[in-house]
Amino acid sequence: MDLKRRDFLKVLGVTAAGSLLPGCAGETKKLIPYVIPDEEIIPGVADWYASVCRECDAGCGILVRVMEGRAKKVEGNPAHPVNRGKLCAKGQASLQGLYNPDRIQEPLQREGARGEGRFRPISWEDGISRWVSTLEKYPGGAVMISRPVPGTLSRLFSTFMKEISGRLLFYDPSGEGTLQAANRRSFGVDRFPEYDIANATYLLSFGTPFLSDWLSPVHYGLAYGEMRQGRPAVRGRFVQIEPRLSMTAASADRWVPLRPGTEGLLALGIGQVILKEGRVRLAQGDRSRFEKLYGTVSLDQIAAKTEVPREEIIRLAREFSEAAAPLAIGGGTASSQTNGTNTLMAVNALNLLVGNLGESGGIRFIEPLQGFPAAAATPVSDQALLNLKDSFKNKKRSLLMLYQSNPLYTLPPSTHFGEVFDQAAFTVSFSSFMDESTAMADLILPDHFFLEAWGDFLSDGGTPAAGLGQPVVIPRNNTRPVGDLFLSAAKRIGGNIEKQLPWTDFRTMLEDQWKTFLAREVPGQPFEIAWIERLQQGGWWKPEQRLISVSRRPLPESIESAQFEGDEKQFPFYLTLFESMGLQRGEGANRPWLQELPDPATTVVWGSWVEINPRTARQYGIQEREIVRVISPYGEVEAPVIFFPGNRPDLISMPLGQGHTAYGRYAKGRGVNPVILLAPLVDRDSGTLAMGATRVRIERTGRRGKPVLVDQTGEGTRRSPEGRRRSET
Amino acid sequence: MRKWTGALIALVVIITALIIGFFYSQGSADLRGQDRQPLAFSHQRHAGQLQINCLFCHRGANVSTAASVPPVYICMTCHRALKEQTPETQKLLTYWNNKEPIPWIRLQRLPDFVRFTHEMHLAAGFKCTECHGQVAQMTSTPRAATFEMGWCISCHQRNGASKDCFTCHY
Ligand code: SF4
Repeated sequence: MDLKRRDFLKVLGVTAAGSLLPGCAGETKKLIPYVIPDEEIIPGVADWYASVCRECDAGCGILVRVMEGRAKKVEGNPAHPVNRGKLCAKGQASLQGLYNPDRIQEPLQREGARGEGRFRPISWEDGISRWVSTLEKYPGGAVMISRPVPGTLSRLFSTFMKEISGRLLFYDPSGEGTLQAANRRSFGVDRFPEYDIANATYLLSFGTPFLSDWLSPVHYGLAYGEMRQGRPAVRGRFVQIEPRLSMTAASADRWVPLRPGTEGLLALGIGQVILKEGRVRLAQGDRSRFEKLYGTVSLDQIAAKTEVPREEIIRLAREFSEAAAPLAIGGGTASSQTNGTNTLMAVNALNLLVGNLGESGGIRFIEPLQGFPAAAATPVSDQALLNLKDSFKNKKRSLLMLYQSNPLYTLPPSTHFGEVFDQAAFTVSFSSFMDESTAMADLILPDHFFLEAWGDFLSDGGTPAAGLGQPVVIPRNNTRPVGDLFLSAAKRIGGNIEKQLPWTDFRTMLEDQWKTFLAREVPGQPFEIAWIERLQQGGWWKPEQRLISVSRRPLPESIESAQFEGDEKQFPFYLTLFESMGLQRGEGANRPWLQELPDPATTVVWGSWVEINPRTARQYGIQEREIVRVISPYGEVEAPVIFFPGNRPDLISMPLGQGHTAYGRYAKGRGVNPVILLAPLVDRDSGTLAMGATRVRIERTGRRGKPVLVDQTGEGTRRSPEGRRRSET
Repeated sequence: MRKWTGALIALVVIITALIIGFFYSQGSADLRGQDRQPLAFSHQRHAGQLQINCLFCHRGANVSTAASVPPVYICMTCHRALKEQTPETQKLLTYWNNKEPIPWIRLQRLPDFVRFTHEMHLAAGFKCTECHGQVAQMTSTPRAATFEMGWCISCHQRNGASKDCFTCHY
C-alpha cells in the first residue's frame, strides 16, 4: 500500500482539526429559565445558610453554600465555638449523603421473608397507619434504638416513649461510655469535661485518638494546633502511649508502644514515681489515699508487665510532674479493654496528683447551657442493648424502632444481637439508608437528610452551645422528617400523649422550645427578630464560659488487669481495630469521597487491610499484599497484608468501617468487617464493648491481594504490584 | 493501481472527517442557533422600539455573574395584557399555560475555566452594548464579538484593567 505514514498523519491532522471545533454533545446548550422566579434566588449568586453538621456527634457549626436551590459546598461556621470555622472530611462529604443515589426515597414495606431484602413502596398514609396500629397493638412493648440526638428531637423522642411506656435507648457505638463512667467515678460529674489541650504544656495521652475520631475531633485538632504553635514562647510537648502508631501517635514527640491493656498499670507506675519524688500538688490529708493506691505494685513489676522500661517510666513521670501545665488524657485503645473504666480512672488520678483540675491547661468542667428545654441524650452502654435479648424473649417488648443506628453492623455477631430482631414482632426503621439493620425491618419510614430538615443540637462538654439547623434545600425525595412522624403518631394515638405533644409539626415544636429559651436569654427582644438572628448565626452560645467546681472523688482501689479471650498459645496476637477519620464505625462507607480518603499511615483507599509488623511477617514468611486469614475464637476474615512498623510485633491491627452487606453501592461488598472477630466481652464497670479484648492468629492463604494504595513516592498516582512488575520488565 | 488505492483511502478518511467535523460543529450552535430558537424573539422589537431596559429582563446582570434569561413570568407581565396575538406570542402563551420553561438555545458561552462576572463589568460603568453590540437593532441576536481571550485582553489593555491570569482563571 502506498499510503505513507506522512500522508496518514495529514489525514489525522484534518480529523483532529474537526474535533477542535467548539462544542461537544455533552455541553449545556439550552438556557432553561424559571417559569415563575423564586424571589430569594438570583441565578449565579450563592446563598449561605448556617446549620449543624450531623455526620458525627460533635455537632460542629456549618455554613452551606446553596446556588439555585442546590447545596454545593459545606464549610465550617467561623462563629461556632466547637469548630471555629474548621470542618473535618466527614463534614465536607455530607453533601454525598444528601445526593446519595442509594438514599431510601419513599416509605417501604417488606415483601417476602425478613432480611430477604425485597421491599414494596407504599404511601405515607399506609405507612404511618401501619406503624401506629402496631404501636397500639403492643402497649408498653416498644423499644427504640436511636442515635444520641441532644436537642428538641431528644425531648420529643423521650416524651413519646415515656407516654407509650416504651423504652428509649440512645446508642453510640463509638465506645465513649468508659470515659463517661470513669469521669463519673473520678469527679462525680456525669458529663464530659473540656480537656484544655490548647493551654497545656505537656500532654500525656493514653491511647486517645483525639486527632482523628475522639469526642470532637475538629475541636481538639484546633486545640492541639494552639498547644503546639499558638504561643510565642512555648511549644507544648506531646507523648502518645498506645500499642499501635495511630495517626495521633504519628503527630507526637514520642510514642510509647506498651502492651495492650496495661495502660492503667503504666499510669500507676508514673504516679508512683511522682509521689515518691515528691512533686505533687495535693491537698492536706489526700496524700495517704494516693500512697495506698500507688503502693500496690512495684515499679519493676509494672515495667515487666507493660514492657515499658523502668527508665522510661521515670522519665515520663519527671517530665509530666515538672511541666508547668501537665495534662493526662485517656481513651481509644486504652478504654477499649475489659478494664477500660478502671484504666481511665488511673489516668484521672494522675491529673489529680498534679492538681490540674479546673486549671488552665488541665481538666475543666464548664457550666452546661442553662434553661434549654431539651432532654439530655445520654447514651446507654452496649450491655444495655444486649440486655434487650432477654426482655424481648418474654414478648413484652415487641416493637423495635430504629433511628440512625445500625447495631447489626456495629455489634459483633458473637453477641447474638440479631436475636433481638428475630424476637421482635415488628421492626420499623426511620433510616435514610438501607443499612444492615434497616434491611431487616418490616417497615421503613425514611427521614429527611439533615440538610433538608429542621433541627437543633446541644453541644456538651467543653463548649456548651445550642446549634440550630434549618433546611437548606428542598427535600429531594418523598421522605418526611422523623419529628413530624412522631408528632402525627401522637395525634393519632390521642389522649395524654397528644396533650404532651400538641404541636402540629416539628418545626413549630422547635420554635416553641427556642421561644422559651430566648425569652429567658434575651428578654425584651421580639421572638421573630431573635429567631432570625439565631438562624443566621447558626445557634446560640455565650462568649465567656463559667467553670463549675467538682469534688475529687475516690481513686480506684487498685488497678485491674485486662482480660483477653482466646488462648495465648493458639491465638498469639493481640487485635486492635481502629476507626478511620472518614469511615468511622462504617457510617461513612457510602460516601465515595470518604472511601477515597487515604489512610494517613498506609495510604490504602477503598478497602480493608491487615497491618502486621514486618518482623512478624518475616517470621511467618508473609509477603506484603498477600491475603491472610485472621482467625479469632469467634470468626475469621481475609484481607491483604500491609507491612506496618508502627505495630508492636505481637499486634495485628485492622481498620473498621468496611465489609457492609447492605448500605448502598459504594459500601457493599467492599473489604471486610473485622467486628466479626470480636468476643462478646464488655468493660465491667461501664458495659462498653471491649474491642481490644480478643486474641487472634493468622494463616497464609497463598493468594495475592490488590489493595489500592495512593502512591507517596512520586512515581505515579497509584501503584500495584502488577504495575510495578510490568515496568521493571 | 496501488497508488490509487492509497489516494482513495485518504480521500474517504478526509471526507468522513469533514462530515463528522460538520455535524460536530453544529453542537456549538453559535451562528445557526438563532434560527432554531423555540420562538422568534426579537431584541429589535423589545429593546429597540419598545425601549425596554436590558436589566428589566436580564435581571441578574448587575447583581450576579450571570446576566440570566428572564423567567417566563417576566414575559407574561406584559404579554398577559396584550390582546393581539401573533403566532409567535401564541407559542409563548402555550408555554405559560402549560407551566413549562422555554428551552432557549444558548448563544454565548465561556468555557468553564474562565470566570466572567457581569456584575463587575456593569459596576465599572460598561454598557451592555459595548460587548453585545447594538442588540436594539438586531432582529436576531448573533454573537457581536468572539469572546475569546485575545478579545478580552485587548479590552483590558485599553481600559487599564488587570491582566493577571488569576483575574479570570481561578
Ligand atoms: S467533627 Fe466532622 S463530622 Fe463531626 S460534627 Fe464536626 S465536621 Fe461534622
